[in-house]
Amino acid sequence: MDIGALLTTAGNLMLTGMVGVFVFLSILIGAVTLMSNLVTRFSEPDVATPVKSPSFKSQGVPNEHIAAISAAIAQYKSNNN
Amino acid sequence: MEGILNLWNATGIANFTIPSLIMIAVGCLLLFLAIAKGFEPLLLLPIGFGAILTNVPVAGLSDPGGLLYYVYYVGIDTGIFPLLIFMGVGALTDFSALIANPRMLLLGAAAQFGIFATLFGAILLNYVPGFEFTLQDASAIAIIGGADGPTAIFLASKLAPDLLGAIAVAAYSYMALVPIIQPPIMRALTTPEERQIKMPELRKVSKKEKIIFPLMVLSLTAMFLPAAIPLVGMFCLGNLMRESGVVDRLSNSAQNEIINVTTIFLGLAVGSKLAADKFLTVETIGILVLGALAFAVGTASGVFMAKGLNRISKTPINPLIGAAGVSAVPMAARVVNKVGLESNPHNFLLMHAMGPNVAGVLGSAVAAGILLALVG
Repeated sequence: MDIGALLTTAGNLMLTGMVGVFVFLSILIGAVTLMSNLVTRFSEPDVATPVKSPSFKSQGVPNEHIAAISAAIAQYKSNNN
Repeated sequence: MEGILNLWNATGIANFTIPSLIMIAVGCLLLFLAIAKGFEPLLLLPIGFGAILTNVPVAGLSDPGGLLYYVYYVGIDTGIFPLLIFMGVGALTDFSALIANPRMLLLGAAAQFGIFATLFGAILLNYVPGFEFTLQDASAIAIIGGADGPTAIFLASKLAPDLLGAIAVAAYSYMALVPIIQPPIMRALTTPEERQIKMPELRKVSKKEKIIFPLMVLSLTAMFLPAAIPLVGMFCLGNLMRESGVVDRLSNSAQNEIINVTTIFLGLAVGSKLAADKFLTVETIGILVLGALAFAVGTASGVFMAKGLNRISKTPINPLIGAAGVSAVPMAARVVNKVGLESNPHNFLLMHAMGPNVAGVLGSAVAAGILLALVG
């Protein structure tokens, strides 16, 4: 293939490629916007539980353990009084 | 006497050729850049070492039966290594900034003009005597403009395996040079007032949105561009593992162990392609020049797109963030932040630049898919 013909093909490829990228990502923009709207509409207002006790979470101590430990301490105190 | 002669013939000294010595010097240069200059050390170190190993005479590490031959065959010829890395990159990527402001995808799309303009430039270079790039070669070179290592290696291994070494070295070198290549272009194309534009804070993105996003990208790719599925699919798998929050162990492996192990062998395999007869050609110089052009054009088109968006958008958009559309995550976003801070020390653009930055990763994967579908 001579260079002229190759250049024409490359030019065409440049055009179709850019149009392709823009069309695909534009569809994605539409889809993301739609998805965000649907998610915010259909989900109840943000659940705040994960933020409530971040210090316990980060230490990896489950709430049940804390409850059990507190109960044990309370029992110990009441036994010793 | 004959025994001594045979032993002498088996030494490296008796078998070194000038081209292989030059390639060993190139390998040493890559090691120097990685160790002393800190240029993409994670890749340039194994690539440089692979280049040295492959050019040791007699050992024949890259000949059939040699270690590097098999590493290349297993990992790159099949396309597996770049795809595993892409899974890790997916697991490392946070799409919040993009989901909060999906229009940033347009910046990621615009910056891909660097790829397609370079494709044209590579064919144009055929007018210079000594260059004979086919359309496949030109496409593989052009993807350097995607500023994304695994994508470049994946596409080059499919379209132009002979040029893979030079393309990978060019791609990673220029990614390391992003802080030097981009700022002058960004400053030249924007006014000081534009660089000072403050952008409104991004909204918080819910976990549900982050989980649905990779699945949505996957289904759109499956419908419209199946050729991009290997790249996009692995990327989305990594991202879903990250965002779902139920497979932290897998997500951590993808982000750390798998990506690290793969990087070692990917680097070695790419280095094994730095053999004298493939690398010491005039085409390599062409690839290096075209690679720089690709980065520059991509940066410029991203900035132009952001300027255009700023004109028509209700909320202000700082044109600098367009430069992050070339991908090169997260380096390009950091560069945007730095150039923004020069104009206004209180204007932090990092989070805003992450949107176009990750959009650029998707954009270059899509561009690679289009090139594979049309040229492959």
